[in-house]
Amino acid sequence: MKKEVPMAICFILAVLYVVANYFTGSKFITTLKTTLDDWFLIVTAWAVLVGTVNLTQIHGRRIRAKREGYVFSAWLLACLYGMMLVSILIFRSANAIGWKFMYNQLIAPMNATVYATLVFYIGSAAYRSFRMRSLEATILLVTAVVMMLGRVPLGRMLLGGRPYLGQMADWILSVPNSAGMRGIQIGACLGGLATALRIMLGIERGHLGGTGE
Amino acid sequence: MTILKTYVFAFWVEMIFLASLITMILRARQGVKVPAVYKVAGLDAMDEAIGRCTEMGRPVHFSPGIGDVQNAQTLAAMSILGYVAKQCARYDTDLIATNRNIIVYPISEEIVKQAYSEVGKPDNFKIENVRWISDDQFAYATGVTGIMYREKPAANILVGAFWAESLIFAEVGANAGAIQISGTANTHQIPFFVAACDYCLIGEELYAASAYLSKEPVLLGSLVAQDWGKMVGVILILVGTVLASVKNPWLKNLLSK
Repeated sequence: MKKEVPMAICFILAVLYVVANYFTGSKFITTLKTTLDDWFLIVTAWAVLVGTVNLTQIHGRRIRAKREGYVFSAWLLACLYGMMLVSILIFRSANAIGWKFMYNQLIAPMNATVYATLVFYIGSAAYRSFRMRSLEATILLVTAVVMMLGRVPLGRMLLGGRPYLGQMADWILSVPNSAGMRGIQIGACLGGLATALRIMLGIERGHLGGTGE
Repeated sequence: MTILKTYVFAFWVEMIFLASLITMILRARQGVKVPAVYKVAGLDAMDEAIGRCTEMGRPVHFSPGIGDVQNAQTLAAMSILGYVAKQCARYDTDLIATNRNIIVYPISEEIVKQAYSEVGKPDNFKIENVRWISDDQFAYATGVTGIMYREKPAANILVGAFWAESLIFAEVGANAGAIQISGTANTHQIPFFVAACDYCLIGEELYAASAYLSKEPVLLGSLVAQDWGKMVGVILILVGTVLASVKNPWLKNLLSK
């Protein structure tokens, strides 16, 4: 029963969503879909509470045991509850100046900083991948050099102002790269559709726990 | 009720695909031989990666990506998590499963908990090893980076829907010396995973993982329907190429119905 009931609910709701997404003209189904979407939002909001409890448990234990780096755990909990309490008790709205300040001056720059570190990760990944250890790696290296030089003025300058490298880069992007990407996309779309149908029919139960071994 | 405009072709394609899927499943249930599935190195390496962690006494890190629960990639990742959790439970290896999506987190927890129960070791399940880090993409990336540096997992399994954080995870895992298995259907992230990881499940291989790992004939049978779909796709591309070359818009009009 522990698996059969969720599977039955999953099948009924999946059929409902398929009908709601493909068909028009039934007010009942549209209303039901809107109601279910609202339920999903409510469940998500409550799930945040579950996640917060999990974070508090993990970092609370770390602080109590004074494990290495416990100061960072304390800082994390202070920020988590600090932002939450200040938002609920003082700002009370996402439009409040103070809340906007905290978001725009703290969270946004921190996000941008982490995003910016990608530059270094790209550099180190490229160094490891582009070493000429095999024929494939050599092709990758040559393609990457053409792509990079084709995208910057230096490439044009090296060829005395001729745009050949840029044209080659455009061709690589729009012909072999697009062909490869679309092949993968077609396979992935069919795979996604098959997975969705397997879940809908209750054949795939991995998300309910266990692999059916 | 009528089918929405521009959705007619997609609806009938889905129905035909569903019918072929059911046919293959019924054939597999009747005991008709299922064709062999080609070797997927990334999935075969799962046991090797977990074994490495067991030998080294270090944990396995698993991330189902940052997609939400409606994303088929996340659900495929959950199936892989079930397998990984079971193997980790069998060999008494710690599994750190990190989550970004708040709805995916309790599902992950339940899957890991059930895996420990299924192998008869429910007491070995550590609730603190299934973690929700943050709902924010880069806060999650930072949290995982911290875990990789502090807890030094010997295997890093990244399967699911990934976006810009994919390379951060993969590079940090490489720096931590972990054996890395990744998989995503997000085409723009595949090159990053291919460049930085030891094994990569490309596109549909991710969705075939549960069938491949469980070796259930019914699930393997459903993969055949996928292959039929690909063949139809190839035929449509060829016919479309010929028709577009002679400026015949018949197929284009049919697809956009």
